[in-house]
Amino acid sequence: MRVRIWGTRGSYPVANASMLRYGGNTTCVEVEAEDHHIILDAGTGLRMLGEALRQSHAPPNRFDLLITHTHWDHIIGFPFFAPLFDPNSKIDIYGLARTQSSLRTTLAGALSDPLLPLTLDDLRAQINFFEIGAGHCLELGPVRVRTALANHPYRALAYRLETDQGVLTFIPDTGPFHTVLFGEQRIEWTGQPTARSQSELRELAAMKEAILELAYRADWLIYDAQFTDAQYARFPHWGHSSASQAREIAEAAQVRQLILFHHDPHRTDAELDQIVAEQQAAAVPGLIISAAFEGMELARKP
Amino acid sequence: MKVRFWGVRGYVPTPNAAMLRYGGNTCCTSVTGEHGELIVLDTGTGFCMLGDELMQGEFGRGRGTLTLLISHTYWDHILGLPFPGVVHIPGNRLDIYGPDSTRGSLQMVYDGMLSPVYSPVFGLAHIGATHRFTPISTEPFIVGQLTIRAMPLSYRPHSPIWAYRLEEGGRALVYITDVRYSERGIREAAIAFAKQANVLIHSAPYLRDEQVEDYGHSRVEDAIEMAQAADVERLLLFHHAPMRTDDELDAIVAHFRQMLAAQGSPLQLIAAAEGMELVV
Repeated sequence: MRVRIWGTRGSYPVANASMLRYGGNTTCVEVEAEDHHIILDAGTGLRMLGEALRQSHAPPNRFDLLITHTHWDHIIGFPFFAPLFDPNSKIDIYGLARTQSSLRTTLAGALSDPLLPLTLDDLRAQINFFEIGAGHCLELGPVRVRTALANHPYRALAYRLETDQGVLTFIPDTGPFHTVLFGEQRIEWTGQPTARSQSELRELAAMKEAILELAYRADWLIYDAQFTDAQYARFPHWGHSSASQAREIAEAAQVRQLILFHHDPHRTDAELDQIVAEQQAAAVPGLIISAAFEGMELARKP
Repeated sequence: MKVRFWGVRGYVPTPNAAMLRYGGNTCCTSVTGEHGELIVLDTGTGFCMLGDELMQGEFGRGRGTLTLLISHTYWDHILGLPFPGVVHIPGNRLDIYGPDSTRGSLQMVYDGMLSPVYSPVFGLAHIGATHRFTPISTEPFIVGQLTIRAMPLSYRPHSPIWAYRLEEGGRALVYITDVRYSERGIREAAIAFAKQANVLIHSAPYLRDEQVEDYGHSRVEDAIEMAQAADVERLLLFHHAPMRTDDELDAIVAHFRQMLAAQGSPLQLIAAAEGMELVV
């Protein structure tokens, strides 16, 4: 199992000289296991993956695309993924089942007039849509996949990918599990945490439990660290975590390496260097902390 | 009028070291009138950078007014709108002009783009700034001391695309993007619309060698011929292709400047770059 990170940024892509080292493309991670290619999220990093495949010697043409949710930063690379237009490609797309709209309708709507001049028929690849929920298990070739729900506006999935060569847990968008419980409704933030009902508190606790289980002893936990602690205090209703909140989850789940992810579009390379140093200094012994950068590769040492 | 480019890339943002000089953010251009009127042409990701800068002034205090002229609603022209803090500060005003599609009014398209399945904003109603949508028409209108005219560039009712002409004190700026001159009558109408503009900002992602057919995007040569036919003073190539590096853009500009010089053409040719400012 080999993991390669193609996009690390959250909210929107940024082309900025002071952010190039960690990268300006939005979320996309490639996982290769034997001859299986699994892609996590379709941010602008997906376009770069497609370009790289086009230049490779024997490009694969069979992909599983696992989408956490369909906020723009997670799908903006989708129509720019070259294999979509290749009739020899086969792409299975997995995403969260929703009562309001299907995954197919959501993606088709994003691609079609007046937002873009495409229809699903223009995508020549053989595409299948699979709608899944939390606690779902899949076997994709040698990779065992499990899902849980993240604490994010309108809900998002988190994924655990497991092979004999390593475990990757991918939670790019989630708030912590104490102040705000996200669901179908928009959270109005008044500046003060509102009183939560017992059932909300129970739901938050259960959600955290499931997330810790999803990350349990993972080799690599790629986790939302959009905020500083000061930013989290101002924007708890956005559904993102701070780097220290990410570290707490990694420690509780006994993860080997925490990879801070979904970098804020204003976060410079120098700031990220400092955040990593601070979190590493605060971490329990044995936990490695890094910030995801474009081109980062993860593999267990033989 | 003062022009500043905040995003000049077409299709998709390109964070790439070899493209930073011209820039990787998508379409957004600001025009400031003599009396401080602020008009923004399209809200690609460049709008996020503009928003950061506006935060420092009146907009940071909820006292700013912005006129947005939207050419059309493809991703690279609208997706930057909800991110800057200034659009969420009550008291700021957004006057948004653009075309309605047969699939929904401009307002509905924006609302859909911000709907919870795509955006944590949960819909247009939660944009904190006061916002007003006006469907664009060929009727000229006034913003401060500026006169604004608009012209349809496409007959496709699902995806209307409009051009804008901004005039102040006898000077004119014209903005034409995503045009397909193979559509009947569009080229002639565009030439008349851009007639004697001091500045023409024109999308030109590809060369004819690269794209033989005119697939919804005029090519560099089309833009130059059009600018010459309209007696334009300065042509700014814009909406650069995602794979185009800075060095390639330099070479394209050098090549066509040489061609213009050989023709004895007075047309000034420039490739628009992020951060570039010019006075019309």
